[in-house]
This record gives sequence, C-alpha cells and structure tokens, in this order.
Amino acid sequence: MIRRLEPQSGEVIDRETPLKFTWNSKKYVGYAGDTIASALLANNQQVFSRSMKYHRPRGVLTADYWDPNTTVQVGTEPNVRGAHRLLEADMKVSAQNAWPSLDLDVKAANGLFGRFLTAGFYYKTFIKPQRLWPLYEKVLARFAPGGVVDLNTPHGYHDKRYAHPDVVVAGGGPAGLAAAISAAKAGMSVMLVEQNHHLGGHLRWGTDQDRETADDLEAAARDAGVEILTDSAVTGRYDDNWIAISQRDHPGVVERLIKARAKTLVVAAGLVERPYVFSGNDLPGVMLSGAVRRLINMYAVRPGNHAVVLTANAEGDAAVADLERVGVEVARVVDARAGETISKATGSSKQLGSVTLADGSTVKADLLVTAAGWTAPTSLLNMSGDRPSYDPAAARFFPTALPDNVIATGGLVGDGSLDELIAHGISSGELAAQRAAAVKHRLRSTVTRAQNPKGPEPPVQQDRRIGLSRAPHPELYRSDTHGMVDFSEDVSSKDLVNAAAEGFDSVELVKRFTTATMGPSQGKLETVNTVAVLAEARGETIEEVGTTVWRPPYAPISLGALAGRVFEPVRVSSLHEWHTANNMTPILAGQWIRPEHYGDPGAEVANVRTNVGIIDVTPLGKLDLRGPDVPKLLNLLYTNKWSKLPIGRVRYGMMCAEDGVVLDDGVTGRLGEDHYLMTTTSSGAGQIWQWVEMWLQTEHPDWEVHVTPVTTGFTSINIAGPKSRELLMRLVDDVDLSAEAFEYMNVRTGTIAGVPDCFMWRIGFTGELSFEVHVPAGFGLHVWEQLIERGADLGVGPFGLEAQRIMRLEKGHFIVGQDTDGLTKAPTTGLRALIKLDKDDFAGKPELEWALGPEAPELPVLVAITPTDPRLVPDEACQILREGTTEIVGRITSSRFSPSLQRSICLGQVTPEFAAAGTMLTVRLCDGSDTTARVMEHHAHFDPEGVRLRG
Amino acid sequence: MAEPEFRSSVTTLAATPAGAPALTDESPLTKVSVRARVGASPLGVDFTRAARRDGVLICGIRPDEWLLLGGEGEVEALLAAAEFDASVNRIDITHSRLCLRLTGVRSASALEKVCSLDFGDMMFPDGATGSASVAKVSSDLVRDDIAGEPSYLLLADRSFGQYLYDAIHDATTEFADSL
Repeated sequence: MIRRLEPQSGEVIDRETPLKFTWNSKKYVGYAGDTIASALLANNQQVFSRSMKYHRPRGVLTADYWDPNTTVQVGTEPNVRGAHRLLEADMKVSAQNAWPSLDLDVKAANGLFGRFLTAGFYYKTFIKPQRLWPLYEKVLARFAPGGVVDLNTPHGYHDKRYAHPDVVVAGGGPAGLAAAISAAKAGMSVMLVEQNHHLGGHLRWGTDQDRETADDLEAAARDAGVEILTDSAVTGRYDDNWIAISQRDHPGVVERLIKARAKTLVVAAGLVERPYVFSGNDLPGVMLSGAVRRLINMYAVRPGNHAVVLTANAEGDAAVADLERVGVEVARVVDARAGETISKATGSSKQLGSVTLADGSTVKADLLVTAAGWTAPTSLLNMSGDRPSYDPAAARFFPTALPDNVIATGGLVGDGSLDELIAHGISSGELAAQRAAAVKHRLRSTVTRAQNPKGPEPPVQQDRRIGLSRAPHPELYRSDTHGMVDFSEDVSSKDLVNAAAEGFDSVELVKRFTTATMGPSQGKLETVNTVAVLAEARGETIEEVGTTVWRPPYAPISLGALAGRVFEPVRVSSLHEWHTANNMTPILAGQWIRPEHYGDPGAEVANVRTNVGIIDVTPLGKLDLRGPDVPKLLNLLYTNKWSKLPIGRVRYGMMCAEDGVVLDDGVTGRLGEDHYLMTTTSSGAGQIWQWVEMWLQTEHPDWEVHVTPVTTGFTSINIAGPKSRELLMRLVDDVDLSAEAFEYMNVRTGTIAGVPDCFMWRIGFTGELSFEVHVPAGFGLHVWEQLIERGADLGVGPFGLEAQRIMRLEKGHFIVGQDTDGLTKAPTTGLRALIKLDKDDFAGKPELEWALGPEAPELPVLVAITPTDPRLVPDEACQILREGTTEIVGRITSSRFSPSLQRSICLGQVTPEFAAAGTMLTVRLCDGSDTTARVMEHHAHFDPEGVRLRG
Repeated sequence: MAEPEFRSSVTTLAATPAGAPALTDESPLTKVSVRARVGASPLGVDFTRAARRDGVLICGIRPDEWLLLGGEGEVEALLAAAEFDASVNRIDITHSRLCLRLTGVRSASALEKVCSLDFGDMMFPDGATGSASVAKVSSDLVRDDIAGEPSYLLLADRSFGQYLYDAIHDATTEFADSL
C-alpha cells in the first residue's frame, strides 16, 4: 500500500483488520473501512475503468457515491460503485467495459474516430438500410457498456417495509442532523436517511473540530430516538409525501424498499461538487477537491505527489492545506477568484503529466485538483413541484417555492458558517415538526380508529426561519478548451455545441440527443455544466436555457428492491394434505391448488360410473344470503324466477351482465324462511360476491339482504356414482336420503359422520346420482376420511378435476368461460326456457329482449358434436368451417375422449345454419388438416334422459 | 366412528425465535358475524373499534358488520342475552375465517413489512380495527393488547391459512435477538 499515509485523525479505516482482495486477478490488501477505490488507489492503481464510448482510461474523480469513473464488477455483480462500496475480504474485483484488459483495450480505437462519433452518430448511421439492422444490432451489442450479468447469480434476499414517520430527513450532514434532532425533540418520529456510510456530510473530511461536531450531532440524534439509515437514499418523493427509500444497511438483506408516508419531508441533500470543463479533464490524476480531501482525511491515501490546484472556493483552499500537510508538493495554486484558470491537461494514457495554465505556462504534475463550484441536487424538490432558479452571483441553482410539507435546509438553500448551517437545520426541524403535528392532528381527527386529538387543528406554521446567505462564487464552467461534460456518457462540450448548431434549442432535447446527464449520476455532476455550455453556444443566459426536469429515482435502485418480497398467495382446501399424501397431481386454478387427478383420470371416471367417487369441490363459490328481500335479489341477478322457491328446494340459475352475456351460473337453495345459500362457479366466486354487493349497495340499498361469503367455511365434497346414496347413508342418521324423501334438486341440513350443520344437496355435475355435501371446514378432513374408510367395500375412490371435466362433457353440461366467452349471450347456451322476459326486470333483460327480437342477428348455438373418427379428439378452439371454404362458422369449445362411450365427444358453438341435429361439420385441426363431425340431438352424450342422475 | 376434531388451516407451525413477536393460531375461536343495517349499533361498539364484553371480543369491522370472537359458550351466551330486532342477522363464520395473533413489542414493526396500514399507537391504538391487504390477502386486523403488550388479531379467509402464517412468521424473524 505504497500510497497509504500515516494514520490520519479522521480516518475511517481499521488498520487492525487487513482485507485481501483481487483486482483483475492480481492480489492486493486493503483495510476494513476502505472503499474499493481507496484500497486500489492506496495500492497505486490509478486506472479503474474505460469510458463508455471512447474507452478512455479513467481514474478517481469524486471518490464518493457519484464517482462516474470507478464503476467495477464485483464477482457476479456488475456496475458496482467502487468509490462507495466498502471493501470486503476476498472480494474479486475486476474492470468492466474493457477488452481484452484494462491496460490494453482494443475498443480504445474508437477514440481515433472520436470526431465521427459525436452525438447522434448511432441514430444517423444505423438507420439505413433497415434490413441490415439485425446485423448492426449484433455488432453494437458487443460495444454495449457495463459489466457482465451472470444468469446463474444467486438471488439476494430483498425486502419491503411500509413506514409512517412524522418526519423524513433526506441527508445526514450537519443541517440534516440538526433538523432531525430538533424534530425528534419536538415529539416527532423521525427517519434520517443518509446516502454515505457515515453521518456528518462534509464534516467527515474536515477538521478535527468538524468531526467532533459531527460525532456530537450523531450522538444527539441517537439519544433523541431518530431512526438512522445509512448507505440508503430517498429515491423519490411523490404526491402527499409518499416517499421511496432504498435501504442498504439492513442486516441480512441486500436492499429493501421502504415506502414511507411522511407528514413532512426535510431535504438536506447538501451540495455536489461539479467538475471543470477543459481539455484533458478526464485524465487519471484529475480530481475534484472533495475527492482529495476524502482520500486524505477519511482513507489516508495520498492522491498524488506533485499537484496543481485550481480553486474558486474555501473547499479548494482546504484541499491545498490538506495536500501540504501530508507532504504532497503543491506546485501551483491557480486562484479562479483572481481570474486565473487552467487551459488543458496532458499526459500518458494512464497518468496526468502536465497542466497548461491560461497564460500558456506549463506545470508538471501528476495531480490536478479542481474546486470549481457546486451543483445543488434539488431532485427531491423538483419532484415536489419546485422549479429552482439560477443565481449567477452564487453560480448555482436555488429552490423557489415548495409545498408546506416539504422543507429544504443546508447547502441547498444557502451558505454560512457551521453554526449558521446547524441553526438553520434546527429551525427547519422545528418547522417540520410543527407542520407534521398539524397533519397528525388532521389524520387523527379523520381516521375513526385513531386516538382522536384534543383541541382544534393547529394552523400551518409560516416559515419564519432566518435564511442562509448566498456566498459569492465565480461562474466557472468551461475554460478556453473543450473537455468532458458527462463522464458517464462520454459527452464532451463539443458534442453539446454541435447539438446546438444542429438546431436543438431545448435543453430537454439536447439531453436526449446527446445523452448528457442520462448516466448513473443522473445529472448530479453534469447538469449545470451542460446548461452552461449550451447557454454559451446559444448566446443566452443559464436562466434562459433552464434545466431539465429531475425525476425519480434520485439515486439508482436495484430491480430486486423494486420487486421487494414476492407475495404470491395460494389457497388450499382443508383436504389439501390428504390430496398431497395420496398421489395428487396438482393443478393451479386461479390461486387454488387443486387435484387434477390421482394418477389415472380415466379409471376415476370408470369408478364413478360403476361404484362411487368423491371429489373436493371446496372452491365452489358459496354466498350465505339472509333477509326478507333475498327473492328480489335472486330475481334481479338470475334470468329465471325465484319468488316461489320452497324451503328445502334447489334451483339452477344463470346470471347475465347488463349486455346479456353469460356471467356465471350455479344453484341456489332455500335453507329457511329468509335464508338461502347461493353457489357460483369456482372461478367466479370473488367476482359474483362483488357483483351482488354492487347491486345491493348502489341500486337497492333499501333491500334487507345480508350477503356473507362462506366459500371456504365449508369443505365441499361431491359424492357421485350409483353407490353414492348407500355410502352417504352409512354416515348420516338424521336425514332420510331415500329417493322418495330426498328428491333431485333438494337440499337438507343434517349431521354427517358426527358433524352437525352440514348441507346436503341432491345435485351433480357428473350425470350420476350424486350428493354434494358442505361440511364445516374445520371438520372437512374428518368427513372425507370417514367417506374413504366407510366406503372401502363399495369401491369408493377420489377423483379429480379432469375426471369431473370428462363426465360433465359426457353429460353435456357447459362451463361458463370455457363453452361461453365474453360475447356469448344467454340464449346461445340452449337454456332459452330459463330466460324469463316476463319478469319485471333482471340484469341483462333489455339486451336479451332485443337479442331475441326480430331485428337482432341470429345468435350462435351451443351444440354437442361427435367426430366421425371416434379416436380423434380435436383440440379445444379448433375452428369449424363451411365445407370446401375457409369461412369460419363455429369452434370447438370443449373436447375429450369419453371413457364411458369409447369415442371422442365435444361441445361447440356454431352458427344457427349448422345447429340442427345430424348436420355434418368440417373441423380444421391444429395441424391444418380437416376432419368431419356430426351435430348431436342433445347436449348430453351420455344418459340424455337423466335416468342415472335422478336415480 | 372417530370423533370429529376441529382442524385449523394452519397445519405447520414454526418456532418463534427469541425476541421476535410471537405468532399463534387462534383459528378454533368461535367467530360469529352480526349483520345489521348501516348506522345501527346492535352491540354498542362502533365501526373501527373493538371492545371486550363477558369474555367476548366485539369488533366493528365494517359499518354494518360486527365480528364476535370468543369461546363457544361465551359467544352463545352473549348472543342469547342480546336483544336484536328482526333486521339483525348472525352468521357463524368460525370455519370461514383464519385467526392469527401476533404479540410482542415489535409486532407493529413486523406487520409493517406485510401491510401498509399505520400501526402507530396513535393511529391504531388498543381496541382499534382495520381492514387491509396483508401479504396480498384481504384481511381484518384488530388491536387487542395483552397485559399492556401490543397484540394484533388477524382474520382472513381460511384457505390462505398456511400461506399467511408463513408470510407473517417470516416477517417476524428479523426482530429476533440474534439479529
């Protein structure tokens, strides 16, 4: 570590903890507390990367989070900010954007053609001929900047948190710390977010007294109960102070997104030092004054040996003092305040060699330090609606007007002594607390669950803070030579001048044409210089040119953090464990995990047709309806009539939307005088609940009906097959299950296997004698296991969704959403008798009246279809054609091979012309060939008379 | 014949790390939904408030719905003593709803990881109720402190039981002493 200095009083490295790491496969040693960049520089490594377009060698520029030149690859992680990421043991660090190596990068040949690679080169060059674009794309992809993404990278754990602090303070410098402390002391909950690893801002690389002040402020903040996040950033401010925070200091988590709803936001983002534009300003060895001070005072690294310092402010003067203190020869101090400046820097490909001053003299140097001024990172203020204005006397932008719940402090709003900054922070924290208190009062008054406050809402406090002054600063943007403006994007001042000459007269267009300010630092270093160069090129003032709009994110955030924790709710019935233990092949149906089959769906069908099977139909939607007006509701929702449904009876109904399209279907049973149980399709359960509530709450709030979803309150089991009655009778004592006493389409309430309050319905979807039982879910597994145990001699077995689908198709039952679609009106289903147009009203009635009238076009018809080739099963959605043409006259909506009939069976929609029984159809198969099929007389292929069903 | 035994939808419980909020399954509690006209107050408890009476926690979870939680006998006794008019309905939803309880000084912090509500003492005090998405599942929440220690009841559709238990338990582990 030949550049490591003797111990410095403010150093943050731990010399007792050396860390081994590799840089481009060579071994080095740094210390705990080092950043990757400081460790490398301590080891005399000056070149960290190659620039994006011209592949120019780049060294440290800012030595902090915003450094555009120290982006490296760490293991499998690309694009790591080397001047911010802390060194870890055994880190494998490598350069990116260089091939074959950082030292010898053949892509640097781009630099030879630099004059041709100006802004817009790619847009203009590769637009024609269009047919060659695929080739261009492949070649250009090889020149794409950035690191290497390893598709096998293990996914880190990302997290998410919601927070409701009273005050969020963005920035942990002296003003931000003071604001956080005073707000916390005023009784507010405060979250302080600092981008760096240490609190204190510029005090950390200042004097011993500065650091002592920072330590005192940090201790006071902790004592006051401020929640402190370091290595974190407020990345966005949205309406109503919805604040996004990227937190990287949380244990065990790569990064987490905090969604904070703050009552007031204090922005204390400080100032970002901006580079000076001159020829050679991107040579390794050209650094900003802040970089030099951080390297010396925090990391004990000698930034160079022979220095030239261009200074326009106190920070530059302090850099001179720091350099001299640690023995760096300061060959020349160029004082911009006295009108002095530099003209260009020259050197080898890896190192600055000399500096040419404005008077033409040349000074040999391996370090050129510039202190040319500040950019006010007003992003969060812009996101709050502010349009900062430029003050030429101070050579930077200042905020103008902010909403009451956003308060700016510190360097963003002015200059002053440390005491003045802290005093401004304190008064800002107090103001934030007062305004937060008013918001809290309002929230607690309006949110009924909250502890209601006493007294009237306090008025919004006026801003009576004593403002900070604005220190005069020379406008120092570009010397008499051109240089780099955007180091991340390789955009020079010449590119900007050329863009202006090409007629780009809006700063927003120049930004997009040249990509200036669009790199990882998002304008923190480049914006003011870009605007200044553009203003110069157009002969306007900076104020006249204006700035681009700063949008979120303030600092980069990983996609993993945005995704956060992945919540994917899944639903299972009370029988799930049994299914899993009994060879279930699962299928995901919406959020439900259901058994598709238990090994052989064909055998399951055969068992139901021969013996008895049981299926878990818990997801079937179930709504408990109570109240004297339930019949009115049913009459409104269903197309058929419900006024005279006797207690103990069940009726099938079809629901339509206002456009007459089939919405859902199911059966509803009357359990008591004012008590009904409605069932819906499994997939429609949630939607129909909303549908019912919508009608009740918006159209008929006067109706006395209470709707309660009880879908999963019951484990629903369908017991189907010729032996189903015999099986159920073994478990039920208090209900007469005989055919005479318990007829088809009836419902009874009774006890099953010792479980009271079970509902038993004589209905079924399979075409077999069947009982659908609804058992209180906590006892569902008990009843299921009893059915299996007590029915063993009857051959009982479970069957899954696939067997049920086959059997319902054999029976010709349609499925809403499968055999109907978003255009299928009720008459298509063949259930014309259920559409009672003589009712006063029902959902969809006006449309259906028209659809069934003489002026409407004829509707498609749902028919049963059997292919001529009994082994051939057309895929669902295969088209039905007019023979010998390509005219589509229908489609197959469902198809299966029927184990019961030993032939293929289908349902399909056809135009009325083709709906008559016996009509031969042409079905276009997926492989393009055609086959023939015949329209059947009934929907039911199996037991059309319903003898088995009613048995 | 085997006796019926109530089975919760949370079938696999995890150990609570030391220091972390404790997550327990209280699904077997009797739960009855009392429905009345909007604006009525058949049990004397307002919407968004909860109160314990004769061992039963009465929770105003919607403007026209109160959820009663307690032992079967206690809930039955309270309902038997109540004088409801004909417009009031009571529906036993014991089997429909999962009921989890999260207890501990950091339980609000744990909930903040899965729910966007403000669980601060002022905004969600003891005896408050709310409805929100918890780990993307529509849920009712009731603050029901135990001996001064923050405690929250979470009620959701039974079918999400194991999923919700796992999601919330995962959110609590961050607050274990070892971290």
